[in-house]
Amino acid sequence: MNKWGFGINEKRSIDLDKNSPDIADRVLRDEPSLRLCIGCGGCTATCSAGNLTRFNFRRVHHLLRRGEYAALSGEIDKCMLCGKCTLVCPRGINTRNVVLSIRKHLSV
Amino acid sequence: MMNLYFEPFIIPFCIGVVVLFGVMWTKFISWISRLPKTDKRLILKNAVSSATFAALWEVIRECLLHMRIRRVNLRLWYMHMSLAFGWFLLIVVGRIEGGIALGSLMNPPYVDVFFRKYFPYIHIPGFGFLMDLILLFILSGLGLAVYKRFNSRKLGMKRTTRLKRTDRVALISLWCIFPVRLLAESFNSALFESGSFLTGSLGDLFALIFPTIALYYINNLLWWCYSVVLGTFFIMLPFSRYLHIFAEIPLIFLRAYGIRAKANPTTFSKLQIAACSRCGICIDPCQLAQNNLTNNTQSVYFLRNIRDKEQSPDITDHCLLCGRCEQICPVGIELNTIRISSRHLQRAGEIRFDYSYFRGTDLSAGEGKVGYFAGCMGQLSPKTAAAMKRIFQESETDVWYADSEGSVCCGRPQKMAGNLDAARQMTEYNTSLFEKHGIRTLVTSCPICLKTFREDYRLPDIEVLHHSEYIARLLETGRLKRNPSSKILTYHDPCELGRGSGIYDDPRKVISRIGILKEAPDNREHSLCCGSSLGNTRLSTPQKIQIAKSVTDTYEKTGAEYLVTSCPLCKKALGRTSRIQVIDLSEALFLE
Repeated sequence: MNKWGFGINEKRSIDLDKNSPDIADRVLRDEPSLRLCIGCGGCTATCSAGNLTRFNFRRVHHLLRRGEYAALSGEIDKCMLCGKCTLVCPRGINTRNVVLSIRKHLSV
Repeated sequence: MMNLYFEPFIIPFCIGVVVLFGVMWTKFISWISRLPKTDKRLILKNAVSSATFAALWEVIRECLLHMRIRRVNLRLWYMHMSLAFGWFLLIVVGRIEGGIALGSLMNPPYVDVFFRKYFPYIHIPGFGFLMDLILLFILSGLGLAVYKRFNSRKLGMKRTTRLKRTDRVALISLWCIFPVRLLAESFNSALFESGSFLTGSLGDLFALIFPTIALYYINNLLWWCYSVVLGTFFIMLPFSRYLHIFAEIPLIFLRAYGIRAKANPTTFSKLQIAACSRCGICIDPCQLAQNNLTNNTQSVYFLRNIRDKEQSPDITDHCLLCGRCEQICPVGIELNTIRISSRHLQRAGEIRFDYSYFRGTDLSAGEGKVGYFAGCMGQLSPKTAAAMKRIFQESETDVWYADSEGSVCCGRPQKMAGNLDAARQMTEYNTSLFEKHGIRTLVTSCPICLKTFREDYRLPDIEVLHHSEYIARLLETGRLKRNPSSKILTYHDPCELGRGSGIYDDPRKVISRIGILKEAPDNREHSLCCGSSLGNTRLSTPQKIQIAKSVTDTYEKTGAEYLVTSCPLCKKALGRTSRIQVIDLSEALFLE
């Protein structure tokens, strides 16, 4: 089997009934402008950390809204807070406050 | 045996004095004794030097004469100065008068304070007149102070501080002190002819109105009142804003010895916070106040919250760190550093970072003794980086491009958010990168990076320059040649470059080489913030644009063709609202 060159994918389904939205809700309350996101990926294209790793703000946002906090916790620590994503965001989302808010709520 | 001159009416005054000095000295001694070792060594090293005399001179200039307030507004200065200097004179001249009268300087303090009550028949030539004159001087300032509470605009302040209860009680007792003294001395004079031109004349008037027995009782009552208001004020002093009267003195000395507030706070910050007089001069320059975005996060309220232990991130984080308040603060409090240290304490439990991915990262290109660091924001404005490349080529400089394909942030944004440990990791990474490539000069386009390279990095073998300084130097030495054109340019001082790093002249030198510089009214140290400062994480984008609009309006009025700035972040921010073209200083060299 191993010589096939194919493995079995990890389970990728997300059970939204099991994932709690509470941290996402709290972050959205802290920074409501996050609701404006259209997922254009401008933040991702410009991200300083994303240039060096897989990290990017769009991914962070996805993980947050899906309630995948364990994965989010590993990702959010890579942000350097440089603020380029805030400047390029066409929706004017205060991304830096989103990052700080996620860090705050994940730390509690 | 020493005569104690005890009378019952001095009891409130004495209690006040004991509480005041007891509490105050406890505070000061505990703060100074808990200073870090390096600071204590600075005190020992510099105490026996000219710094002490310089500090003494500053104490006279600032604690008594309040000269720095003079720059803000003349009437405001007169108000503060007459109260502080006047009261000081009243105490000193009173002391001399009491000393001469009793032939000793060892009298208890209340003998001077209540001198007329104790010794109505002793007249020392000149002193009665002098004391009345000083009292009048104080009362004139007090009149302005009362007027200011109702109409602060007339004293040059659009907004004045909103007070809390402790401050208000202290304020009212302070206001009462001098009118009550005037009345007490006047009634005393009505009975004993003890007054001069002011209290004497008022006393003559009272003597006409009241019968002698009434004068006697009113007089006793008034001296009791005088003692009570003094006592109340003294008791409130260490717990209210009036602690600044004394806290500024050790602050000035320690500052003269080279002690500074630190991002990781020491007790020196506490002394600075205690030295805030809540004069509210910091409110008007705050652009968040000017644009009606917040009215409770300004430095005066922020410091009060720290003292009252009522900090909240909503207030601490809502500041641009532009430094306009720090620049105008008459006490010289390091407001930005204290703000950062407060964020640091607030975020202590939520600091998370994992920068293991820095290891082995090197996205630089080229080789040379000069390094160029565009910075995150510099990478976001490719025209600036391209113009710098042309400048390097034109001046035939070999350059190592530190971040041509990307970079690790300088760390200042993390520091401004209070994440000092995260910032340190970036500092260490970038330091080793610069050292690895053996550069001698580091040029950066971003004032944010510049400030942290100069202040937080240890780069002993590398000269750190902002590109404005570098370009000015190239033009001066003739390695870059430009002929002035008739273009009219105006210049925006970025906060981190101007107030932050003290660089005002180099960009102007460059501009005067290529065109005609037309200044906006708020320039140099009074320059406005573009509104997109990384220091504030609370402003929404529409609010940032509102601030930017208010700033670009002032530049449009100059009639310039181009708005030049030397910060990529300011360029982006102002470009959003400006009707005249916004360009970086480096681009200005290549205008057609």
